[in-house]
Amino acid sequence: MSVVSETSGFRGRRPLNWRAIAFAILVLILLYQVAVPLLMVAWTSFKTMRPGEPGFLDLALSLSNYVRAFAEPRFWSATQNTISFSLASSALAFVLGAFLAWVVDRTDTPLARLIGLLTLGRIIIPGILITVSWILVASPTIGLFNGIVFAVTGVKGFFNIYSFGGMVWVHGLEMVPLAYLLLSAAFQAMDPRLEEASVMTGAGIWRTLRRVTFPLAAPAVGATLLLLFITTIETFEVPLLMGGRAGVPVYATEIYLKTSRTPIDWGIASTYAMALMVVSIGLLALYFRLLRHGERYQTVTGKDFRPRRVELGPWKYVTCALSLAIVLLTTGVPFLMMLYASFLPDFVPLTADPFEYFTFANYTTLFSESEYALDPLLNSTLLGIGTATVVMLIVSAIAYFVHKTRIPGRKALDVLAFAAIAVPSVVLGAAFLWLYLLVPVPILGTLFIIGLAYVTKYLPFALRFVTTSMVQIHSELEEAAQVTGAPGWKNFLRIYLPLLKPGLMAGWFWVMVHAYRELTIALMLVRAHNRTAATVIFDLWENGSFQELSAFGVLIFGLLIALVAASHAISRRYGIREQV
Amino acid sequence: MIVVERLTKTFASKAERVAAVQDVSFEAKAGEMVTLLGPSGCGKTTTLRLVAGLERADAGTIAIGGRAVVDRAADLFEPPHQRDLGMVFQSYAIWPHMTVLENVAYALEGKRLGRDEVRKRALAALATVQLEGFADRPAPRLSGGQQQRVAIARALAGEPKALLFDEPLSNLDAKLRGEMRGEIKRLQRRIGVTSLYVTHDQAEALAISDWILVMRDGRIVERGRPEDIYRRPRAVFTARFIGDANLIAGRIHEIDRATGRAAVDTEIGRLIGVDTNGTLRPGDPAMVSIRPEDLTPVAGAPGDANILKAVVTDTVFAGAAIEAEIEVGKTPLRWLARRDVAAKSGEAVDLAVGFDAAVVLPPE
Repeated sequence: MSVVSETSGFRGRRPLNWRAIAFAILVLILLYQVAVPLLMVAWTSFKTMRPGEPGFLDLALSLSNYVRAFAEPRFWSATQNTISFSLASSALAFVLGAFLAWVVDRTDTPLARLIGLLTLGRIIIPGILITVSWILVASPTIGLFNGIVFAVTGVKGFFNIYSFGGMVWVHGLEMVPLAYLLLSAAFQAMDPRLEEASVMTGAGIWRTLRRVTFPLAAPAVGATLLLLFITTIETFEVPLLMGGRAGVPVYATEIYLKTSRTPIDWGIASTYAMALMVVSIGLLALYFRLLRHGERYQTVTGKDFRPRRVELGPWKYVTCALSLAIVLLTTGVPFLMMLYASFLPDFVPLTADPFEYFTFANYTTLFSESEYALDPLLNSTLLGIGTATVVMLIVSAIAYFVHKTRIPGRKALDVLAFAAIAVPSVVLGAAFLWLYLLVPVPILGTLFIIGLAYVTKYLPFALRFVTTSMVQIHSELEEAAQVTGAPGWKNFLRIYLPLLKPGLMAGWFWVMVHAYRELTIALMLVRAHNRTAATVIFDLWENGSFQELSAFGVLIFGLLIALVAASHAISRRYGIREQV
Repeated sequence: MIVVERLTKTFASKAERVAAVQDVSFEAKAGEMVTLLGPSGCGKTTTLRLVAGLERADAGTIAIGGRAVVDRAADLFEPPHQRDLGMVFQSYAIWPHMTVLENVAYALEGKRLGRDEVRKRALAALATVQLEGFADRPAPRLSGGQQQRVAIARALAGEPKALLFDEPLSNLDAKLRGEMRGEIKRLQRRIGVTSLYVTHDQAEALAISDWILVMRDGRIVERGRPEDIYRRPRAVFTARFIGDANLIAGRIHEIDRATGRAAVDTEIGRLIGVDTNGTLRPGDPAMVSIRPEDLTPVAGAPGDANILKAVVTDTVFAGAAIEAEIEVGKTPLRWLARRDVAAKSGEAVDLAVGFDAAVVLPPE
């Protein structure tokens, strides 16, 4: 039993062992990265002065921010908009995502794999680019489609993207890959024998669907809808670019505007942030209850687990065409629009004869103003790679302590790291901004402050990737190493890290791509010298240089593809070396 | 009654085409328990799923209870829910969102019965598997063995024309498997429902079946009563797959048509055994199959047995018997000796195997 007592750390013979030290450091990092910023937001909401001003740190709290916020009609209209916008976009994304997941995973539709790949591949394009592309497509004044409609019928402004419907359309399509990802996992986890058993009792297709398939899928469906809703209430790009002109303010945009545009009002901003967090936390609690409920449904599965695909007959061409149409809408239309606009000179209407004005000027401008356009690309690349690496190191240590040791208090690591998921990006950005006004560390306006906020933002997601892998590694593997007398840190490096590699790589990719395309946090923390690619897009948007913006978007797209391909190639090479 | 004729099914993937079931024909008479037995990938489960209607045949016909349900030539395919069958799955396939009673009652919902009648019949079905006390439990809160009983009750409840079992015991532990095996057999005999049973476990097949169909690579190798399949196999594959067999290669010396016995010259001398096929001729290559338990130590030379002069090379105490490795000349064989036989390594022993216990087979 000596192995066990050593695992339990604090009671070991050596008063200071590496586990205790590493554990303590981890706890401190998490407290600083997660708990302190959250307290910062809560504290600010009860103060009448700004962070850093005299009196901010004394204990005189007031509810005046809340009183002011609740008295404003704008607060209540933002509340209503946030909820209806989230409901409508979640519903749209769910319907399209569920259809795609069903087509790809459960039917014999041709090109299913390609459809799945294109749907997921869409994730790498920054959301703000897609939003801008849709504006170029369907803006009432400059939209390409409106130009076509005008040329054909003479009707002006047939499509209006600056509307509630337009916002829902763009953001709903934006979330289709997420809905697809979640539901596809649920479809694959369902044992087809359960449906076959129903059919064998004499139940037809409809009774099987109604009594077996739908009830079994209910927890997963509920969880998916909740996660889509939670994602939407904190979404930023679409409300920021379109909500202003559409007259649809939501919490996220209000927080941004009140922290960065005059009249600046951090007190009110922090009350919106608190409201947003309360809603998020409530919904997340519900989400986890549904997940637990879903796990209860898991039963014994046989070795011969083979999902049965529905034979659609001639209908499979219809589902194929519909799926391709959805993929075209989510990815094709915005990307082609961007590509097209990037070759047009400034101030030429988008509907002009494409070959008359065709030019590379937008690209040459970008490269000649390299400080303006290319440095941010480098910044984003550094942020993506740096954040992904730091986050994966932290979460693998967390997963190890939580699942493979018995150190008291290890559960707190899990809770702390996961708590960040309840914090909307815009709140997180504000929290870090306010925190570093107080803390005398001069990182405001550098890449470090953005990186630190990203670390907090992506901890929960990365933790999920690594936890799944960690749970699958049997403790006996480490125990076998301990018996050989190797020290603990060596076991972690030599046993766990190599076995965790698939989960680590997947998580690293995920964080890298998301940190690269992130806009909300960056926009809250950006200054002159730490601009990222996404903030440059926003800048170009504000200046109205749509053609240059499009060229920049194409550049980002190409760069991200190259980055993903390169990392993939590197990990593949390591994979081969591992097998030798 | 189930009649299957010339059934064929091919699975095509991008890389290859797998002929899962090839030209399979068999019959299960009313009230019989017929087992499809074979190693994994032999096509037994596919055959069962074709009968169930969960897969579509490429060719052939299936009739259940005298009514054709599949006839590829006539383009007839009756969907599974119209075939009036009960099926028990390897993974139990108990619906986790229902109680035990709801699981069983579900099978009666399409029958246009009153609510009380459904409940009564479902409870009766649960009683046949001794689970009436668990009716209101959530189904996932049962042990594996209990879940499989619920699955059996559900399959029985609708009083189907036939029951299909797809490796129902392979997820249970060894002791429970033995108990459930006996229970399924008694239940099937008592109700008298025609049953098709798929397993890869030869002991299970021997214990439970009226007829065994041995399958390999999508084809039926041979069919027979359990005892005949074990004692008088007609194929080397059957002898090797079912039970343990010493197989000794040789050539036919002569055949006595009157007794059905063949004399075979082998590397351990001339052996006499039964030609179960009756197709061999003098000069043909042949395999002699001898079960390890059919070897008995003798003094002297009895008239109706082969005598093998063996040397014990190793012994393993296996509880009920002793598993001995022996050599006859240079040929290694296995001998299952009774526990009271003093067999020691290095000792010489004369072993007899009756002419009727040795089986002469055509080589594969």
